[in-house]
Amino acid sequence: MDDLTMLRDLGRDLEHEPPAGLVRQRARLLDAAGGGTSRRPTWFARLWAWPVAAVIGAAAITAAAMLVPTLLVKGSSQVAAPLGDRPARVTGTLNVLLVGTDSEVGTPRFRTGQARAETIMLVHLPADRGEVTVVNLPRDSMVATPKCASNGGRPLDKINAIYAEGGMTCLRQTVETLTRVRLDHALAVDFSGFKAIVDALDGVRITVPSAIDDAQAKLRLPAGTHMLDGEQALGYARVRYTVGDGSDVSRIKRQQVLVKALVARAKEKLTDPAAFFEFAGKVRKAVTADTEFDAETQADLFSGLAKADVTAVTVPWEPYPGDRTALAWRQPDADRLFARLNGKSTPTVTPPGGDGRAKTASPPPPSPHQAGRQVHPTPTPTVTPPGGDGREKAVKP
Amino acid sequence: MVPMMSASPDVRIRDSDLVQESLTRPEAFAELFDQYAGMLYRYVSKRIGPDTAEDIVGETFLIAFSRRSRYDQTYGDARPWLFGITTKLISRHYRAEAARYRALLRSPVEPFMENPAERVVAEVAAQAVRPALAGALAALPRRDRDVLLLIAWGDLTYEETARSLGIPVGTVRSRLNRARRTLRKALGDDHPLREET
Repeated sequence: MDDLTMLRDLGRDLEHEPPAGLVRQRARLLDAAGGGTSRRPTWFARLWAWPVAAVIGAAAITAAAMLVPTLLVKGSSQVAAPLGDRPARVTGTLNVLLVGTDSEVGTPRFRTGQARAETIMLVHLPADRGEVTVVNLPRDSMVATPKCASNGGRPLDKINAIYAEGGMTCLRQTVETLTRVRLDHALAVDFSGFKAIVDALDGVRITVPSAIDDAQAKLRLPAGTHMLDGEQALGYARVRYTVGDGSDVSRIKRQQVLVKALVARAKEKLTDPAAFFEFAGKVRKAVTADTEFDAETQADLFSGLAKADVTAVTVPWEPYPGDRTALAWRQPDADRLFARLNGKSTPTVTPPGGDGRAKTASPPPPSPHQAGRQVHPTPTPTVTPPGGDGREKAVKP
Repeated sequence: MVPMMSASPDVRIRDSDLVQESLTRPEAFAELFDQYAGMLYRYVSKRIGPDTAEDIVGETFLIAFSRRSRYDQTYGDARPWLFGITTKLISRHYRAEAARYRALLRSPVEPFMENPAERVVAEVAAQAVRPALAGALAALPRRDRDVLLLIAWGDLTYEETARSLGIPVGTVRSRLNRARRTLRKALGDDHPLREET
Protein backbone atom coordinates (compact mmCIF):
# COMPACT_ATOMS: atom_id res chain seq x y z
CA MET A 1 0.00 0.00 0.00
CA ASP A 2 1.61 3.22 -1.09
CA ASP A 3 1.11 6.78 0.03
CA LEU A 4 -1.41 7.58 -2.71
CA THR A 5 -3.54 4.56 -1.79
CA MET A 6 -3.52 5.62 1.83
CA LEU A 7 -4.39 9.11 0.81
CA ARG A 8 -7.31 7.80 -1.23
CA ASP A 9 -8.53 5.82 1.78
CA LEU A 10 -8.36 8.92 3.88
CA GLY A 11 -10.35 10.71 1.19
CA ARG A 12 -13.05 8.08 1.33
CA ASP A 13 -13.28 8.58 5.08
CA LEU A 14 -13.67 12.31 4.66
CA GLU A 15 -16.07 12.14 1.76
CA HIS A 16 -19.72 13.05 2.05
CA GLU A 17 -22.48 12.05 -0.31
CA PRO A 18 -24.19 14.93 -2.10
CA PRO A 19 -27.18 16.02 -0.08
CA ALA A 20 -30.62 16.51 -1.53
CA GLY A 21 -30.13 20.21 -0.95
CA LEU A 22 -27.67 20.27 -3.80
CA VAL A 23 -30.60 20.75 -6.15
CA ARG A 24 -30.83 24.24 -4.76
CA GLN A 25 -27.55 24.95 -6.44
CA ARG A 26 -28.95 23.61 -9.66
CA ALA A 27 -31.83 26.01 -9.27
CA ARG A 28 -29.34 28.82 -8.78
CA LEU A 29 -27.74 27.84 -12.02
CA LEU A 30 -31.03 27.63 -13.85
CA ASP A 31 -31.92 31.00 -12.51
CA ALA A 32 -28.72 32.40 -13.92
CA ALA A 33 -29.36 30.54 -17.15
CA GLY A 34 -32.77 32.10 -17.31
CA GLY A 35 -31.01 35.41 -17.34
CA GLY A 36 -33.40 36.59 -14.70
CA THR A 37 -31.94 39.66 -13.15
CA SER A 38 -35.42 40.42 -11.97
CA ARG A 39 -35.50 37.34 -9.84
CA ARG A 40 -33.28 36.96 -6.87
CA PRO A 41 -31.16 33.85 -7.10
CA THR A 42 -32.16 32.66 -3.68
CA TRP A 43 -35.69 32.76 -4.84
CA PHE A 44 -35.55 29.83 -7.14
CA ALA A 45 -32.92 28.28 -5.00
CA ARG A 46 -35.12 28.12 -2.00
CA LEU A 47 -37.90 26.53 -3.92
CA TRP A 48 -35.95 23.40 -4.04
CA ALA A 49 -35.94 22.92 -0.36
CA TRP A 50 -39.57 22.14 -0.52
CA PRO A 51 -40.14 19.74 -3.38
CA VAL A 52 -37.30 17.58 -2.25
CA ALA A 53 -38.46 17.45 1.31
CA ALA A 54 -42.11 17.11 0.63
CA VAL A 55 -42.30 15.19 -2.58
CA ILE A 56 -39.94 12.59 -1.28
CA GLY A 57 -40.95 13.04 2.31
CA ALA A 58 -43.47 10.80 3.94
CA ALA A 59 -46.01 13.21 5.29
CA ALA A 60 -49.28 12.94 3.46
CA ILE A 61 -50.00 16.57 3.24
CA THR A 62 -53.36 17.97 2.53
CA ALA A 63 -52.38 21.54 2.43
CA ALA A 64 -49.11 21.04 0.70
CA ALA A 65 -50.57 20.07 -2.61
CA MET A 66 -52.76 23.08 -2.61
CA LEU A 67 -49.77 25.13 -1.70
CA VAL A 68 -47.41 23.68 -4.24
CA PRO A 69 -48.72 26.34 -6.57
CA THR A 70 -47.35 29.08 -4.43
CA LEU A 71 -43.87 27.94 -5.23
CA LEU A 72 -43.74 30.17 -8.22
CA VAL A 73 -46.29 32.67 -7.29
CA LYS A 74 -46.27 36.19 -8.47
CA GLY A 75 -47.65 38.80 -6.18
CA SER A 76 -50.68 40.79 -7.20
CA SER A 77 -52.00 44.00 -5.79
CA GLN A 78 -55.43 42.47 -6.22
CA VAL A 79 -54.66 40.48 -3.13
CA ALA A 80 -53.95 43.49 -1.01
CA ALA A 81 -53.65 43.47 2.72
CA PRO A 82 -56.70 44.77 4.49
CA LEU A 83 -56.47 48.22 5.95
CA GLY A 84 -57.60 49.36 9.32
CA ASP A 85 -57.88 47.46 12.52
CA ARG A 86 -56.67 43.90 12.17
CA PRO A 87 -56.19 41.01 14.56
CA ALA A 88 -52.90 41.11 16.38
CA ARG A 89 -50.09 39.06 15.03
CA VAL A 90 -49.15 36.10 17.15
CA THR A 91 -45.39 36.00 17.11
CA GLY A 92 -44.00 33.18 15.08
CA THR A 93 -47.22 31.83 13.65
CA LEU A 94 -48.00 31.88 9.98
CA ASN A 95 -51.58 32.00 8.76
CA VAL A 96 -52.48 31.85 5.11
CA LEU A 97 -55.88 32.27 3.54
CA LEU A 98 -56.24 29.98 0.57
CA VAL A 99 -59.06 30.35 -1.92
CA GLY A 100 -59.91 28.08 -4.81
CA THR A 101 -61.82 30.10 -7.38
CA ASP A 102 -64.03 29.13 -10.27
CA SER A 103 -63.02 31.98 -12.49
CA GLU A 104 -62.81 29.56 -15.37
CA VAL A 105 -66.54 29.07 -15.55
CA GLY A 106 -67.06 32.62 -14.51
CA THR A 107 -66.19 34.37 -17.71
CA PRO A 108 -69.49 35.06 -19.40
CA ARG A 109 -72.04 34.00 -16.91
CA PHE A 110 -71.32 35.66 -13.66
CA ARG A 111 -72.67 39.02 -12.85
CA THR A 112 -69.69 41.25 -12.49
CA GLY A 113 -67.42 38.83 -14.16
CA GLN A 114 -66.07 38.08 -10.75
CA ALA A 115 -64.91 34.69 -9.75
CA ARG A 116 -66.61 32.81 -6.99
CA ALA A 117 -64.82 31.10 -4.20
CA GLU A 118 -65.31 27.36 -4.40
CA THR A 119 -63.00 26.51 -1.59
CA ILE A 120 -61.85 28.65 1.28
CA MET A 121 -59.21 27.42 3.67
CA LEU A 122 -57.20 28.83 6.48
CA VAL A 123 -53.77 27.28 6.73
CA HIS A 124 -52.20 27.69 10.12
CA LEU A 125 -48.58 27.05 11.06
CA PRO A 126 -47.94 27.39 14.79
CA ALA A 127 -44.85 29.12 16.06
CA ASP A 128 -43.06 25.83 16.70
CA ARG A 129 -44.14 24.56 13.25
CA GLY A 130 -44.96 21.29 14.94
CA GLU A 131 -48.40 20.70 13.47
CA VAL A 132 -50.12 22.38 10.58
CA THR A 133 -53.86 22.90 10.77
CA VAL A 134 -55.93 23.45 7.68
CA VAL A 135 -59.38 24.77 8.48
CA ASN A 136 -61.95 24.56 5.73
CA LEU A 137 -64.40 27.40 5.80
CA PRO A 138 -67.45 26.13 3.88
CA ARG A 139 -68.35 28.54 1.12
CA ASP A 140 -71.99 28.48 2.16
CA SER A 141 -71.21 29.85 5.60
CA MET A 142 -73.54 32.72 6.42
CA VAL A 143 -71.55 35.68 7.66
CA ALA A 144 -72.14 39.30 8.41
CA THR A 145 -71.67 41.42 5.31
CA PRO A 146 -68.63 43.61 5.68
CA LYS A 147 -68.43 47.14 4.33
CA CYS A 148 -66.12 46.16 1.57
CA ALA A 149 -68.77 43.99 -0.09
CA SER A 150 -71.76 45.78 -1.50
CA ASN A 151 -74.44 43.17 -1.87
CA GLY A 152 -77.55 45.27 -2.01
CA GLY A 153 -77.67 45.89 1.68
CA ARG A 154 -78.25 42.35 2.90
CA PRO A 155 -76.89 42.19 6.43
CA LEU A 156 -75.86 38.58 6.02
CA ASP A 157 -74.46 36.72 3.09
CA LYS A 158 -72.70 33.54 2.14
CA ILE A 159 -68.99 33.83 2.48
CA ASN A 160 -68.36 33.04 -1.17
CA ALA A 161 -70.65 35.88 -2.16
CA ILE A 162 -68.46 38.17 -0.10
CA TYR A 163 -65.55 37.04 -2.19
CA ALA A 164 -67.48 37.56 -5.39
CA GLU A 165 -68.50 41.05 -4.38
CA GLY A 166 -65.48 42.32 -2.58
CA GLY A 167 -62.62 40.27 -3.91
CA MET A 168 -59.73 38.75 -2.13
CA THR A 169 -58.90 41.69 0.08
CA CYS A 170 -62.44 41.90 1.33
CA LEU A 171 -62.64 38.18 1.98
CA ARG A 172 -59.40 38.32 3.87
CA GLN A 173 -60.70 41.13 5.99
CA THR A 174 -63.96 39.28 6.60
CA VAL A 175 -62.22 36.10 7.67
CA GLU A 176 -59.95 38.08 9.94
CA THR A 177 -62.92 39.73 11.54
CA LEU A 178 -64.72 36.43 11.99
CA THR A 179 -61.85 34.43 13.30
CA ARG A 180 -59.67 37.08 14.96
CA VAL A 181 -56.83 35.23 13.33
CA ARG A 182 -54.31 37.44 11.62
CA LEU A 183 -54.03 36.31 8.01
CA ASP A 184 -50.47 36.99 7.10
CA HIS A 185 -50.99 36.07 3.47
CA ALA A 186 -53.69 35.29 0.99
CA LEU A 187 -53.52 33.10 -2.07
CA ALA A 188 -56.01 32.42 -4.81
CA VAL A 189 -55.86 29.26 -6.88
CA ASP A 190 -57.75 29.29 -10.13
CA PHE A 191 -59.46 26.01 -10.89
CA SER A 192 -58.72 26.18 -14.58
CA GLY A 193 -55.12 26.30 -13.49
CA PHE A 194 -55.85 23.39 -11.25
CA LYS A 195 -56.89 21.46 -14.32
CA ALA A 196 -53.58 22.23 -15.95
CA ILE A 197 -51.80 21.12 -12.80
CA VAL A 198 -53.50 17.72 -12.89
CA ASP A 199 -52.71 17.34 -16.56
CA ALA A 200 -49.11 18.24 -15.90
CA LEU A 201 -49.03 15.23 -13.60
CA ASP A 202 -50.64 13.05 -16.29
CA GLY A 203 -53.73 12.68 -14.18
CA VAL A 204 -54.60 11.79 -10.67
CA ARG A 205 -55.79 8.46 -9.24
CA ILE A 206 -59.11 8.56 -7.43
CA THR A 207 -61.26 5.79 -6.05
CA VAL A 208 -64.97 6.41 -6.08
CA PRO A 209 -67.11 4.16 -3.88
CA SER A 210 -70.19 4.51 -6.06
CA ALA A 211 -70.85 5.63 -9.61
CA ILE A 212 -70.97 9.33 -10.37
CA ASP A 213 -73.15 10.78 -13.10
CA ASP A 214 -73.28 14.50 -12.78
CA ALA A 215 -74.28 16.58 -15.74
CA GLN A 216 -73.49 19.84 -14.07
CA ALA A 217 -69.96 18.84 -13.26
CA LYS A 218 -69.73 16.98 -16.59
CA LEU A 219 -68.53 13.87 -14.89
CA ARG A 220 -69.54 10.24 -15.34
CA LEU A 221 -67.59 7.59 -13.55
CA PRO A 222 -68.44 4.00 -12.62
CA ALA A 223 -67.51 2.89 -9.12
CA GLY A 224 -63.86 1.94 -8.75
CA THR A 225 -60.43 3.46 -9.15
CA HIS A 226 -59.85 5.84 -12.00
CA MET A 227 -57.10 7.94 -13.42
CA LEU A 228 -58.77 11.29 -13.85
CA ASP A 229 -57.49 13.92 -16.22
CA GLY A 230 -57.62 17.58 -15.33
CA GLU A 231 -61.14 18.12 -16.59
CA GLN A 232 -62.47 15.10 -14.72
CA ALA A 233 -60.59 15.95 -11.56
CA LEU A 234 -62.07 19.39 -11.65
CA GLY A 235 -65.50 17.86 -12.13
CA TYR A 236 -64.87 15.55 -9.21
CA ALA A 237 -63.96 18.52 -7.06
CA ARG A 238 -67.15 20.25 -8.11
CA VAL A 239 -69.72 17.46 -8.03
CA ARG A 240 -72.24 18.42 -5.51
CA TYR A 241 -75.78 17.34 -6.02
CA THR A 242 -75.37 13.81 -7.20
CA VAL A 243 -72.85 12.47 -4.74
CA GLY A 244 -72.96 12.11 -0.99
CA ASP A 245 -75.47 14.24 0.85
CA GLY A 246 -75.27 17.05 -1.67
CA SER A 247 -73.77 19.45 0.79
CA ASP A 248 -70.78 21.63 0.45
CA VAL A 249 -69.31 19.79 3.39
CA SER A 250 -69.25 16.45 1.62
CA ARG A 251 -67.75 18.22 -1.34
CA ILE A 252 -65.00 19.51 0.87
CA LYS A 253 -64.27 15.95 1.89
CA ARG A 254 -63.91 14.96 -1.73
CA GLN A 255 -61.63 17.86 -2.33
CA GLN A 256 -59.46 16.67 0.49
CA VAL A 257 -59.37 13.22 -1.08
CA LEU A 258 -58.39 14.85 -4.33
CA VAL A 259 -55.67 16.90 -2.78
CA LYS A 260 -54.20 13.84 -1.10
CA ALA A 261 -54.29 11.95 -4.36
CA LEU A 262 -52.57 14.90 -5.98
CA VAL A 263 -49.78 14.79 -3.43
CA ALA A 264 -49.37 11.07 -3.98
CA ARG A 265 -49.23 11.63 -7.72
CA ALA A 266 -46.74 14.43 -7.38
CA LYS A 267 -44.49 12.12 -5.41
CA GLU A 268 -44.67 9.61 -8.24
CA LYS A 269 -44.15 12.00 -11.08
CA LEU A 270 -41.99 14.85 -9.95
CA THR A 271 -38.88 12.87 -9.43
CA ASP A 272 -36.55 14.88 -11.59
CA PRO A 273 -35.91 18.59 -11.72
CA ALA A 274 -37.02 18.98 -15.31
CA ALA A 275 -40.42 17.53 -14.53
CA PHE A 276 -40.69 19.70 -11.51
CA PHE A 277 -39.95 22.87 -13.37
CA GLU A 278 -42.40 22.08 -16.08
CA PHE A 279 -44.96 21.41 -13.42
CA ALA A 280 -44.10 24.54 -11.51
CA GLY A 281 -44.45 26.64 -14.63
CA LYS A 282 -48.03 25.50 -15.10
CA VAL A 283 -48.75 26.00 -11.47
CA ARG A 284 -47.46 29.50 -11.58
CA LYS A 285 -50.14 30.59 -13.97
CA ALA A 286 -52.83 29.30 -11.69
CA VAL A 287 -51.97 31.10 -8.51
CA THR A 288 -52.14 34.66 -7.33
CA ALA A 289 -50.77 35.81 -4.02
CA ASP A 290 -50.39 38.99 -2.09
CA THR A 291 -47.31 40.99 -2.90
CA GLU A 292 -45.70 40.22 0.40
CA PHE A 293 -45.75 36.50 -0.13
CA ASP A 294 -42.05 36.53 -0.81
CA ALA A 295 -39.39 33.91 -1.09
CA GLU A 296 -38.64 33.96 2.60
CA THR A 297 -42.26 33.31 3.44
CA GLN A 298 -42.56 30.61 0.85
CA ALA A 299 -39.51 28.86 2.13
CA ASP A 300 -40.83 29.14 5.65
CA LEU A 301 -44.21 27.82 4.67
CA PHE A 302 -42.95 24.90 2.69
CA SER A 303 -40.33 23.78 5.09
CA GLY A 304 -43.01 23.97 7.76
CA LEU A 305 -45.41 21.95 5.69
CA ALA A 306 -42.85 19.44 4.69
CA LYS A 307 -41.85 18.63 8.22
CA ALA A 308 -45.08 18.91 10.10
CA ASP A 309 -48.14 16.74 10.39
CA VAL A 310 -51.14 18.29 8.76
CA THR A 311 -54.56 18.14 10.29
CA ALA A 312 -57.47 19.10 8.08
CA VAL A 313 -60.65 20.17 9.81
CA THR A 314 -63.84 21.90 8.82
CA VAL A 315 -64.95 24.75 10.96
CA PRO A 316 -67.66 23.49 13.36
CA TRP A 317 -70.98 24.28 11.74
CA GLU A 318 -74.72 23.77 12.03
CA PRO A 319 -77.62 24.19 9.63
CA TYR A 320 -78.62 27.75 9.05
CA PRO A 321 -82.25 28.27 9.93
CA GLY A 322 -84.22 29.69 7.05
CA ASP A 323 -81.90 28.69 4.21
CA ARG A 324 -81.39 25.05 3.50
CA THR A 325 -78.41 25.76 1.31
CA ALA A 326 -76.57 27.73 3.94
CA LEU A 327 -74.87 26.90 7.18
CA ALA A 328 -73.72 28.80 10.20
CA TRP A 329 -70.61 28.34 12.27
CA ARG A 330 -71.41 26.56 15.49
CA GLN A 331 -70.51 28.55 18.56
CA PRO A 332 -68.71 28.46 20.82
CA ASP A 333 -66.86 25.59 19.10
CA ALA A 334 -65.78 27.64 16.12
CA ASP A 335 -64.43 30.41 18.30
CA ARG A 336 -62.57 27.90 20.39
CA LEU A 337 -60.96 26.45 17.33
CA PHE A 338 -59.71 29.86 16.20
CA ALA A 339 -58.66 30.82 19.70
CA ARG A 340 -56.53 27.69 19.71
CA LEU A 341 -54.89 28.81 16.50
CA ASN A 342 -54.04 32.06 18.19
CA GLY A 343 -52.43 30.10 20.99
CA LYS A 344 -54.31 30.49 24.22
CA SER A 345 -51.11 30.79 26.18
CA THR A 346 -49.83 33.62 24.04
CA PRO A 347 -50.78 36.91 25.67
CA THR A 348 -50.98 39.00 22.58
CA VAL A 349 -52.13 42.56 22.60
CA THR A 350 -55.84 42.42 21.99
CA PRO A 351 -56.75 44.97 19.39
CA PRO A 352 -59.36 47.53 20.24
CA GLY A 353 -62.83 46.15 19.84
CA GLY A 354 -61.57 42.65 20.33
CA ASP A 355 -64.43 42.05 22.67
CA GLY A 356 -67.17 42.89 20.28
CA ARG A 357 -66.12 40.13 18.01
CA ALA A 358 -68.12 39.36 15.01
CA LYS A 359 -69.78 36.00 14.95
CA THR A 360 -71.25 34.33 11.98
CA ALA A 361 -74.85 35.17 11.37
CA SER A 362 -74.73 38.13 13.65
CA PRO A 363 -75.10 41.81 12.82
CA PRO A 364 -72.22 43.50 11.04
CA PRO A 365 -69.25 44.27 13.26
CA PRO A 366 -68.07 47.79 13.86
CA SER A 367 -66.37 48.94 10.73
CA PRO A 368 -62.79 47.89 10.73
CA HIS A 369 -61.85 51.20 9.21
CA GLN A 370 -63.24 53.42 11.85
CA ALA A 371 -60.31 53.10 14.16
CA GLY A 372 -58.18 54.62 11.46
CA ARG A 373 -55.20 52.72 12.69
CA GLN A 374 -53.41 51.32 9.76
CA VAL A 375 -51.69 48.30 11.11
CA HIS A 376 -50.41 47.24 7.80
CA PRO A 377 -47.90 49.35 5.94
CA THR A 378 -48.93 48.32 2.46
CA PRO A 379 -50.05 51.33 0.47
CA THR A 380 -52.88 49.57 -1.27
CA PRO A 381 -56.48 50.56 -1.63
CA THR A 382 -58.92 49.01 0.79
CA VAL A 383 -61.15 47.52 -1.80
CA THR A 384 -59.93 46.63 -5.22
CA PRO A 385 -62.47 47.10 -7.94
CA PRO A 386 -63.98 43.86 -9.12
CA GLY A 387 -62.58 42.55 -12.33
CA GLY A 388 -59.84 45.11 -12.45
CA ASP A 389 -57.46 44.69 -15.30
CA GLY A 390 -53.91 43.58 -15.25
CA ARG A 391 -54.61 40.76 -12.92
CA GLU A 392 -53.56 37.21 -12.98
CA LYS A 393 -55.89 34.41 -13.64
CA ALA A 394 -57.31 34.06 -10.21
CA VAL A 395 -60.08 36.45 -10.95
CA LYS A 396 -60.68 36.86 -14.61
CA PRO A 397 -62.51 39.89 -15.88
CA MET B 1 -10.69 16.69 -31.13
CA VAL B 2 -11.43 13.14 -30.11
CA PRO B 3 -14.92 11.90 -30.80
CA MET B 4 -15.81 10.14 -27.59
CA MET B 5 -19.14 8.90 -28.72
CA SER B 6 -18.02 6.84 -31.66
CA ALA B 7 -17.45 3.46 -30.04
CA SER B 8 -20.34 3.28 -27.67
CA PRO B 9 -23.80 2.49 -29.00
CA ASP B 10 -25.44 4.59 -26.30
CA VAL B 11 -24.39 7.90 -27.69
CA ARG B 12 -23.08 10.09 -24.94
CA ILE B 13 -23.26 13.78 -25.62
CA ARG B 14 -19.87 15.37 -25.21
CA ASP B 15 -19.59 17.99 -22.54
CA SER B 16 -18.21 20.42 -25.07
CA ASP B 17 -21.36 20.00 -27.14
CA LEU B 18 -23.44 20.82 -24.11
CA VAL B 19 -21.39 23.90 -23.45
CA GLN B 20 -21.79 24.86 -27.08
CA GLU B 21 -25.51 24.26 -26.98
CA SER B 22 -25.84 26.32 -23.83
CA LEU B 23 -24.71 29.38 -25.76
CA THR B 24 -28.03 29.40 -27.52
CA ARG B 25 -30.06 27.36 -25.07
CA PRO B 26 -28.77 28.24 -21.59
CA GLU B 27 -30.78 25.53 -19.85
CA ALA B 28 -28.60 22.93 -21.52
CA PHE B 29 -25.95 23.84 -19.02
CA ALA B 30 -28.02 22.22 -16.29
CA GLU B 31 -27.15 18.87 -17.83
CA LEU B 32 -23.54 19.45 -16.93
CA PHE B 33 -24.67 20.10 -13.41
CA ASP B 34 -26.62 16.87 -13.32
CA GLN B 35 -23.61 14.99 -14.52
CA TYR B 36 -20.89 16.50 -12.39
CA ALA B 37 -22.32 18.24 -9.34
CA GLY B 38 -22.19 15.07 -7.28
CA MET B 39 -18.60 14.37 -8.26
CA LEU B 40 -17.51 17.89 -7.39
CA TYR B 41 -19.43 17.80 -4.15
CA ARG B 42 -17.67 14.63 -3.04
CA TYR B 43 -14.35 16.17 -3.89
CA VAL B 44 -14.97 19.40 -2.04
CA SER B 45 -16.47 17.58 0.93
CA LYS B 46 -13.19 15.74 1.32
CA ARG B 47 -11.18 18.91 1.28
CA ILE B 48 -13.27 21.39 3.21
CA GLY B 49 -16.16 19.39 4.56
CA PRO B 50 -19.83 19.18 3.71
CA ASP B 51 -20.92 22.54 5.05
CA THR B 52 -19.16 24.68 2.50
CA ALA B 53 -19.19 22.10 -0.26
CA GLU B 54 -22.71 22.81 -1.43
CA ASP B 55 -22.01 26.49 -1.94
CA ILE B 56 -18.74 25.88 -3.68
CA VAL B 57 -20.36 23.49 -6.11
CA GLY B 58 -23.06 26.03 -6.81
CA GLU B 59 -20.52 28.79 -7.31
CA THR B 60 -18.47 26.58 -9.57
CA PHE B 61 -21.34 26.13 -11.95
CA LEU B 62 -22.32 29.76 -11.87
CA ILE B 63 -18.80 30.78 -12.76
CA ALA B 64 -18.52 28.08 -15.38
CA PHE B 65 -21.78 29.22 -16.87
CA SER B 66 -20.66 32.80 -17.07
CA ARG B 67 -17.47 31.72 -18.81
CA ARG B 68 -18.99 29.15 -21.09
CA SER B 69 -18.35 31.21 -24.21
CA ARG B 70 -14.63 30.89 -23.54
CA TYR B 71 -14.70 27.12 -23.18
CA ASP B 72 -12.11 25.42 -25.34
CA GLN B 73 -14.19 23.23 -27.63
CA THR B 74 -11.29 20.93 -28.40
CA TYR B 75 -11.81 19.28 -25.04
CA GLY B 76 -14.81 16.98 -24.96
CA ASP B 77 -14.56 16.37 -21.24
CA ALA B 78 -15.48 19.33 -19.05
CA ARG B 79 -14.30 17.83 -15.78
CA PRO B 80 -10.84 19.42 -15.72
CA TRP B 81 -12.38 22.79 -16.47
CA LEU B 82 -14.87 22.44 -13.62
CA PHE B 83 -12.25 21.07 -11.24
CA GLY B 84 -10.09 24.05 -12.05
CA ILE B 85 -12.80 26.49 -11.04
CA THR B 86 -13.55 24.50 -7.92
CA THR B 87 -9.88 24.47 -6.98
CA LYS B 88 -9.75 28.25 -7.20
CA LEU B 89 -12.81 28.50 -4.99
CA ILE B 90 -11.36 26.07 -2.50
CA SER B 91 -8.24 28.19 -2.22
CA ARG B 92 -10.36 30.88 -0.62
CA HIS B 93 -10.96 28.44 2.17
CA TYR B 94 -7.43 27.27 2.68
CA ARG B 95 -7.54 28.03 6.38
CA ALA B 96 -10.65 25.94 6.81
CA GLU B 97 -9.05 23.20 4.82
CA ALA B 98 -5.89 23.16 6.89
CA ALA B 99 -7.94 23.23 10.05
CA ARG B 100 -9.88 20.23 8.81
CA TYR B 101 -6.72 18.20 8.35
CA ARG B 102 -5.29 19.32 11.64
CA ALA B 103 -8.47 18.17 13.36
CA LEU B 104 -7.67 14.69 12.13
CA LEU B 105 -4.39 14.83 13.99
CA ARG B 106 -6.34 14.86 17.19
CA SER B 107 -9.00 12.36 16.21
CA PRO B 108 -8.72 9.17 18.23
CA VAL B 109 -7.81 5.96 16.53
CA GLU B 110 -10.81 3.71 16.65
CA PRO B 111 -10.01 0.21 17.74
CA PHE B 112 -12.12 -1.90 15.33
CA MET B 113 -12.10 -4.91 17.59
CA GLU B 114 -14.48 -7.01 15.54
CA ASN B 115 -13.82 -9.52 12.79
CA PRO B 116 -13.10 -10.23 10.03
CA ALA B 117 -9.58 -10.05 11.26
CA GLU B 118 -7.83 -9.26 8.02
CA ARG B 119 -9.88 -6.21 7.31
CA VAL B 120 -9.53 -5.08 10.88
CA VAL B 121 -5.78 -5.10 10.63
CA ALA B 122 -5.87 -3.04 7.49
CA GLU B 123 -8.26 -0.54 8.98
CA VAL B 124 -6.39 -0.19 12.21
CA ALA B 125 -3.34 0.51 10.18
CA ALA B 126 -5.21 2.99 8.01
CA GLN B 127 -6.51 4.69 11.09
CA ALA B 128 -3.05 4.79 12.55
CA VAL B 129 -1.55 6.58 9.56
CA ARG B 130 -4.35 9.06 9.34
CA PRO B 131 -2.89 11.65 11.69
CA ALA B 132 0.43 11.48 9.86
CA LEU B 133 -1.25 11.88 6.47
CA ALA B 134 -3.46 14.66 7.67
CA GLY B 135 -0.54 16.49 9.18
CA ALA B 136 1.36 16.27 5.94
CA LEU B 137 -1.62 17.54 3.96
CA ALA B 138 -2.04 20.47 6.28
CA ALA B 139 1.61 21.36 5.90
CA LEU B 140 1.80 21.09 2.10
CA PRO B 141 2.10 24.26 0.06
CA ARG B 142 -1.24 24.96 -1.52
CA ARG B 143 -0.08 24.51 -5.10
CA ASP B 144 1.37 21.11 -4.35
CA ARG B 145 -1.70 20.09 -2.45
CA ASP B 146 -3.96 21.07 -5.34
CA VAL B 147 -2.04 18.84 -7.71
CA LEU B 148 -1.82 15.95 -5.28
CA LEU B 149 -5.51 15.99 -4.42
CA LEU B 150 -6.79 16.51 -7.95
CA ILE B 151 -5.00 13.29 -8.77
CA ALA B 152 -5.67 11.31 -5.60
CA TRP B 153 -9.15 12.55 -4.76
CA GLY B 154 -10.36 14.02 -8.03
CA ASP B 155 -9.19 11.05 -10.13
CA LEU B 156 -7.77 13.30 -12.80
CA THR B 157 -4.85 12.27 -14.95
CA TYR B 158 -1.64 14.31 -15.09
CA GLU B 159 -2.80 15.89 -18.32
CA GLU B 160 -6.21 16.73 -16.94
CA THR B 161 -4.68 18.19 -13.81
CA ALA B 162 -2.42 20.33 -15.95
CA ARG B 163 -5.41 21.58 -17.87
CA SER B 164 -7.33 22.20 -14.69
CA LEU B 165 -4.69 24.38 -13.19
CA GLY B 166 -3.42 25.88 -16.40
CA ILE B 167 0.11 24.61 -15.87
CA PRO B 168 2.39 22.38 -17.96
CA VAL B 169 2.28 18.63 -17.37
CA GLY B 170 5.92 18.77 -16.30
CA THR B 171 4.99 21.08 -13.48
CA VAL B 172 2.25 18.69 -12.43
CA ARG B 173 4.78 15.90 -12.22
CA SER B 174 7.27 17.87 -10.20
CA ARG B 175 4.67 19.17 -7.79
CA LEU B 176 3.21 15.71 -7.37
CA ASN B 177 6.59 14.21 -6.68
CA ARG B 178 7.38 16.84 -4.13
CA ALA B 179 4.05 16.35 -2.41
CA ARG B 180 4.42 12.60 -2.31
CA ARG B 181 7.89 12.90 -0.84
CA THR B 182 6.40 14.97 1.96
CA LEU B 183 3.71 12.36 2.50
CA ARG B 184 6.15 9.49 2.63
CA LYS B 185 8.37 11.38 4.98
CA ALA B 186 5.43 12.05 7.27
CA LEU B 187 4.45 8.42 7.17
CA GLY B 188 7.97 7.63 8.26
CA ASP B 189 10.06 4.53 7.90
CA ASP B 190 8.15 2.66 10.55
CA HIS B 191 4.63 3.12 9.25
CA PRO B 192 2.67 -0.08 9.78
CA LEU B 193 2.13 -1.05 6.19
CA ARG B 194 5.52 -0.29 4.83
CA GLU B 195 6.49 -3.94 4.39
CA GLU B 196 3.50 -4.47 2.11
CA THR B 197 4.49 -1.72 -0.24
